[in-house]
Amino acid sequence: MHVHNYEKLWLGASLLLIVGFISTIVYGAAGAGITMVNDEGGQVNPQELGNTSGFDDPGVTKVGPNEYEVHVVGIQFAFQPSTMEVPANSTVTFYVTSRDVVHGFEIVGTNANTMVIPGEVSKITVEFDEPGEYGIVCHEYCGAGHHSMAAELTVTEPSNFTMQDDTQTQTGGNETTNATATPSGGESA
Amino acid sequence: MSTPGETAGETVDSAREMLPDNSFLIQYPHVSRVVRSLFLTAFVAFGIGAFMGVLQALHRTGVARLVDSADYYTLLTLHGVLLVIVFTIFFLAGVFAWANTRSLDRPPVSKRFTWFWVATMSVGTAMAGIAILAGLIPSTDISADVLFTFYAPLQAHPIFYIGLAVFIIGTWLAGIDWFRQYLAWRRENAGERIPLQSFMVLTTMLMWFIATMGVAVEVVVFLIPWSLGIMPAPNPLLTRTLFWFFGHPVVYFWLMPAYLLWYTVLPKIAGGRLFSDPLARVVFVLFLLLSTPVGIHHQYVDPGIAEGFKFIAMTNTMFLLLPSLLTAFTVVASIEHGARQRGGTGYFGWLKALPWRDPAFTGMALAGLMFAAGGFSGMINAGMNINYLVHNTIWVPGHFHLTVGTAVALTFMAASYWLVPRITGRKLYSRPIGLFQVVLWFIGMVFMSAAMHRGGLAGIPRRTAEPQYPQVTFETVAGSVSSLRLQLAFGGVLLFVSALLFLMNVGLTAMNNKPARNLDSALPPALSGPDQSPTVLDNLKLWALIAVVLVILAYSLPLYSIVQGAGLYPAGQEASPAVIAPLLEVIA
Amino acid sequence: MTATEAEAETDSAVVGEETYADGTLVRDPDIEESLSQDEYDPKGTLALLLVYFLILALMWTYMYFVEFLGNGATVIG
Ligand code: HEM
Ligand SMILES: [Cu+2]
Ligand SMILES: [Cu+2]
Repeated sequence: MHVHNYEKLWLGASLLLIVGFISTIVYGAAGAGITMVNDEGGQVNPQELGNTSGFDDPGVTKVGPNEYEVHVVGIQFAFQPSTMEVPANSTVTFYVTSRDVVHGFEIVGTNANTMVIPGEVSKITVEFDEPGEYGIVCHEYCGAGHHSMAAELTVTEPSNFTMQDDTQTQTGGNETTNATATPSGGESA
Repeated sequence: MSTPGETAGETVDSAREMLPDNSFLIQYPHVSRVVRSLFLTAFVAFGIGAFMGVLQALHRTGVARLVDSADYYTLLTLHGVLLVIVFTIFFLAGVFAWANTRSLDRPPVSKRFTWFWVATMSVGTAMAGIAILAGLIPSTDISADVLFTFYAPLQAHPIFYIGLAVFIIGTWLAGIDWFRQYLAWRRENAGERIPLQSFMVLTTMLMWFIATMGVAVEVVVFLIPWSLGIMPAPNPLLTRTLFWFFGHPVVYFWLMPAYLLWYTVLPKIAGGRLFSDPLARVVFVLFLLLSTPVGIHHQYVDPGIAEGFKFIAMTNTMFLLLPSLLTAFTVVASIEHGARQRGGTGYFGWLKALPWRDPAFTGMALAGLMFAAGGFSGMINAGMNINYLVHNTIWVPGHFHLTVGTAVALTFMAASYWLVPRITGRKLYSRPIGLFQVVLWFIGMVFMSAAMHRGGLAGIPRRTAEPQYPQVTFETVAGSVSSLRLQLAFGGVLLFVSALLFLMNVGLTAMNNKPARNLDSALPPALSGPDQSPTVLDNLKLWALIAVVLVILAYSLPLYSIVQGAGLYPAGQEASPAVIAPLLEVIA
Repeated sequence: MTATEAEAETDSAVVGEETYADGTLVRDPDIEESLSQDEYDPKGTLALLLVYFLILALMWTYMYFVEFLGNGATVIG
């Protein structure tokens, strides 16, 4: 087949570009440790979240010396809970699911960004180094009130952060579902 | 051969007789009529879609809110469906009907069959359109506020899904029509290379047959029975995956008619010849092979799909850059050939020798330039983990307004200035307005798309009527969010004005009483002709087979694991809004 | 001038008057030269695309390492 030499050169440059892109992504995964949302979160019944450990009482849980879990439920048109607080310099794992339709979960100004699909649990682990106020928005159209679906995440100075071990509920949350305590998670160290 | 006279007041009818015998309109008056009717639907959809576009641009930036925010999503559904389903695909059908006929030099086998698929596509469109528009009228129970991606369990009225299915069947029939036309040609031309334009039409349609399997299963097996209330809600991750099985290749379906025009018409308009016919064929074969096994790249941040599957999709996606990068070379080299034949010199000086006063040329060239920029933001989208940065932010509409919204749409507008006189026999109403219009589109898109990209990096979500929240502040790298909003709205207004000028210009052309001149429909032969490539490139059965095998390899395990996870009909999924009371419960 | 694609096998059939969409004459047939496959090297194309290559490589690096990796918290598990 006849191909002009310049075009062969361009073909080589294009392949170089492609390989370079793939290598960068592999570096991000292997070197910088970035993980994609995957199937680890498992499945839930969206109508039975009230009886599902974690989602029955959405919010922040301390699970280790410096480790926290946050369960979040998306509903038309809000996140439960609508405010969350975690200390800086901690490892936070979000478990996010939906009670109705497909939603999105994006912590604005960070790379924490996932789809929220009813029946599936999105599990993402994030480290917050600096204290700050973050907005969380739903970035997938979920119905006529989609644009009002947002929440707030406060990353506090560790010394100012108060939460007892094995306590599911969180001070300052304005959610109504924090009355009943769930069986204490045996995971705390 | 006759030369058109100079008499003032000559009318189109008398002028038709003066068109050269080999002009398309004289040789194929029937196909010309088919193309005119397809273009008419495409342009009506474009006009309404562009109007929705400017409403959205003004609304979401808060510049002017002319509708209720709850209705924003009805308009957005209309915008998406009219522009990327109706406008693009009807125009594609017109270009393909023209190109297949022109290059095979024979009409379709059956006039009735041709009109049958035109009617099928139109009926499907009308059904889906009515379902969407009815959402604005609260007194009807009908609505389809589901955007053009219609993710379950958001639910639309059954006639929306049925309309989509009918429309897709119409496109399949169109493909069958073009294949029959080709087979008729083949019987008389055994052993010949497939003419290039026809080759492009056929490979694209093979890709489409494979791609639409995903959406056909989604709609026919799951969504229609569910919306009619006779089956439970399907697994939302499964229907999403079936959608994106179709949703990525569809973007190449939009793009292929633009590529066809760039490869075959643009060199002629530039005064040159296609640089390489062999590479053009290789490019279309690569698209047939690689367009479908990549759809999971739209699901990089979906739960329920293992990272390995996402990585495989990314590798395929990155290699899918290759045919587009090769296209950049071949098309630019063909234009440069024109410039050099017109006396252009130097490394960059030849650019000045191009026919920049011709809207058909300038429009397509600017469309190509925008595609180079859109290609870059697409590379970012495609990078598996960097996708976290931009997923579902307004960056993404910023990206695809450069690709489908300009590379494709502006090429279609520019090509119309060249093609409409050829299928109507009427002189273009105004070349200067045409030139102004294509440049205006380019400028408008620079504003709108740049603002969208930058807003996306600040985290502003897409598909949102009021992306202004009490809890959230968006921070941009440079400039303020409010200036980005103004730029987005300003760009949107320029685009809308450009769209109106285009519609006016083609409308007046269609009614122009002045006859078109010199409508030579011959295209110059390629510099490197098909004889310089192996004949295996024309073995369509082989490529189709490999394409199917690649799709099976890429999708069987992910689909299997999704169904293993939550099942086909997971418990607890409910339609919202439930458009029709579930019949299941009524019976039970 | 009005040769069909099949007839236009020779270079000379290609060169000639060309018109804008509205029928205005674009180029003067007299200054036309016909460049054949052997006489033409697309050096301008190569130059343009190498510039594009550099832009892509630089922008990619900037977007990945500055915009993305510098963008606060990232998913690590
Ligand atoms: C007058 C010109 C146009 C304007 C002002 C415009 C404006 C917009 C805006 C502001 C959005 C974002 C809405 C949101 O996410 O909230 C949007 C979305 C979109 N536009 Fe356009 N647009 C125009 C032309 C086009 C063209 C020509 C195409 C394709 C051929 C197109 C395809 C789309 C698609 C597919 C979406 C996404 C819809 C969705 O998210 O469901 N637009 N447009
Ligand atoms: Cu939402
Ligand atoms: Cu894609």
